[in-house]
Amino acid sequence: MTDLLRSYGRGLSWIFVSLTAFWILVLIVLPQGFMLETSLWDINRDDQLGMKIDRAYSDLGLLEYDVTAAAEADKPAIQAKIDALQSEIADLESQETDPPREYGIQNYTKMSSLHFMIFVKSIVYALMVTALALVVCYPIAFAIAKVAPPQRAALMLLGLVIPYAINELLRVYAWLMILDYQGVINSVLMWLGMVEFADKSWIPFLEYSGSVFVALIYAYVLFMIFPIYNTVDTLDRNQLEAAKDLGASTFKIHWRIVIPHAKPGIAVGCIMTFMLSVGSYSVPQIMTRGKSGDWFSQLIYRQFFEAQSWNVGAAYSFSLVLVCLAFILIMMKVFKVGIRDIAK
Amino acid sequence: MRGKDVQLRDVVMRFGSFTAVQKTNLTIEAGEFFSILGPSGCGKTTILRMVSGFMEPTEGSILIGGDDMRGLGPAKRPTALIFQNLALFPLMSNWENVAFGLEARGIDKTARRAKAYELLSMVGLEGHEEKTPAELSGGQKQRVAIARALAVEPAVLLLDEPLSALDLKLRQHMRAELKEIQNRTGVTFIFITHDQGEALTMSDRIAVMKAGVVEQVDTVDNIYANPKTPFVATFVGENNVLEGKVTRADAEYAAIETPYGEVRGLNQDALTAGDRAMLFVRPERTALVNGVIPENHFEAAFERRDLEGAYVNLFFRGSAGPIIVHQPNIGMHGHLDGNTRVGFNARDALVMRAGEVDND
Ligand SMILES: Nc1ncnc2c1ncn2[C@@H]1O[C@H](COP(=O)(O)OP(=O)(O)OP(=O)(O)O)[C@@H](O)[C@H]1O
Ligand SMILES: [Mg+2]
Repeated sequence: MTDLLRSYGRGLSWIFVSLTAFWILVLIVLPQGFMLETSLWDINRDDQLGMKIDRAYSDLGLLEYDVTAAAEADKPAIQAKIDALQSEIADLESQETDPPREYGIQNYTKMSSLHFMIFVKSIVYALMVTALALVVCYPIAFAIAKVAPPQRAALMLLGLVIPYAINELLRVYAWLMILDYQGVINSVLMWLGMVEFADKSWIPFLEYSGSVFVALIYAYVLFMIFPIYNTVDTLDRNQLEAAKDLGASTFKIHWRIVIPHAKPGIAVGCIMTFMLSVGSYSVPQIMTRGKSGDWFSQLIYRQFFEAQSWNVGAAYSFSLVLVCLAFILIMMKVFKVGIRDIAK
Repeated sequence: MRGKDVQLRDVVMRFGSFTAVQKTNLTIEAGEFFSILGPSGCGKTTILRMVSGFMEPTEGSILIGGDDMRGLGPAKRPTALIFQNLALFPLMSNWENVAFGLEARGIDKTARRAKAYELLSMVGLEGHEEKTPAELSGGQKQRVAIARALAVEPAVLLLDEPLSALDLKLRQHMRAELKEIQNRTGVTFIFITHDQGEALTMSDRIAVMKAGVVEQVDTVDNIYANPKTPFVATFVGENNVLEGKVTRADAEYAAIETPYGEVRGLNQDALTAGDRAMLFVRPERTALVNGVIPENHFEAAFERRDLEGAYVNLFFRGSAGPIIVHQPNIGMHGHLDGNTRVGFNARDALVMRAGEVDND
């Protein structure tokens, strides 16, 4: 803070701090806080409420009739009953328009075992996607950063970036077309005489979870490649040569020199890929078309927009946020990198 | 540890159409401290990288200890390279750095740790074993790099301007230290530098390169006393230059025509009358004329004087260009102004075929 003041002066520092505060408040604290709050209550709607109100109104009508017909002496007693009934009606009606909230963690604990299975499955799959993406991306990132001559490296980077200029949905649809029943691969197989469209003996790629994998990896590789590429790129080439000169094998060079150097990038890549794939909605939605198991994000969507139970949806999505936070902490622990390294 | 000899036979290195190293023959003796000296971009690093195995020569062959090295990668050659920027591994401790070559050879941890500690103490770094390179000074990093290279017991140690990043004091200290280590280990050192003072103080022999060509390979004394080309004469140490046509020549001496009249020096290129020639004379062989009159002498205007401690440099300008006189500082240069007569003996001057000089 004092550093900030010293380097930028009072006015600019104030602007920086307030912009940051605005960012944190409006883009992080408010939405997540709202989500957390929503997840912590639900409405215990009384099914009988409408009927109770109806009955109260008819009682009220009767009493009002009684009042006109009754003897003067009885009137105050009946009037008191009417007043009591009216306040009860007001109370019931306010319950109907603004039902009471019950606070507690019930939204978190009442997840059905089916939903819990999907939750766990999504996490496991996202972990596998992350691991696969890492295995695929590390060599590519290394090749671009250190092996390829500069011109070829630039071309390779361009080749990687271009697909990302296309909308994510279109990229996923491209994979859909490739893997579809009568898609590119099956067409090739038919041409080779291995499958037949007529008797539907095609290979139903889309019904395998592998297809979601492929599409997820394809959708998010760049988020793995770029952080790794960035860190590997800063590695002094002389260090690689020195290691080689001292007799180290390729494996040793990577294990002892490149990977330790690239740790922050690997951690960031893994975190991004994991978070994006565990929370991905469009990719599993498009790829499976509901034919194989739900992804947890689809479940959240349904809670919000189909089951209309925002509170449960909020609890589900907040659980996902917690998983992601846990994943970040684990990655930081495993790779022994601090927030500072990651932010770099 | 024992050094091995290194031979370059008709070695040529081309990058596309550009020839970085012209056909070169060099023999570096086992256990020798050999320097390759030359200006930036003349191909020094290229030669070193060919010897260490990071590049194969386009033509010719490289032999170490009599064995042809073609096809052997850097890991397979009995060489170790010390990089210009040292290339220490910043994420490892110093002892791990030193032990890396042993680790690569699959030697177990206790053994390699012991060896690394021993080498670090040899280079005077006891107590720094568990630190990382970032926690060391420039000179200490240098020593870690040397220990790391020596750990794999190379027969030839290749050093690519390893002292250029150090300040003058430390550089002088490290020169002595390198020389010491070389004596103690008997390893062949091939040392690259563009600093002629560094090459002169440390080396047994020097190869002077210019634009991909090795101009002269000789002992330190010979390089200084008997440069074979105008480039070597001007690149190594300082030299006064006079240029002109040869007027008379015999087997021993040649005289050239200069604005000062005829000036004579040793005829080392067997020049004959009419050849274009250059005469070189060291500033310490040039003197102010008083009393004994040397064979060559002329008038020059005094410009300024630089005190260098034990020596003074006197700068003059004659009609043929600047002249430097290098004198011991024994307090007798009185006062100099206006025109002064300076001169030198013919046997202290070298006349050679005119060529490119190092002008900086
Ligand atoms: N891999 C390469 N591809 C193309 N040209 C190269 C390559 N390596 C070196 N060169 C060229 O070869 C010439 C000699 O390079 P080298 O690195 O050997 O010079 P050097 O004598 O070590 O210079 P310095 O003192 O500046 O390090 C230079 O002109 C350089 O541009
Ligand atoms: Mg160089």
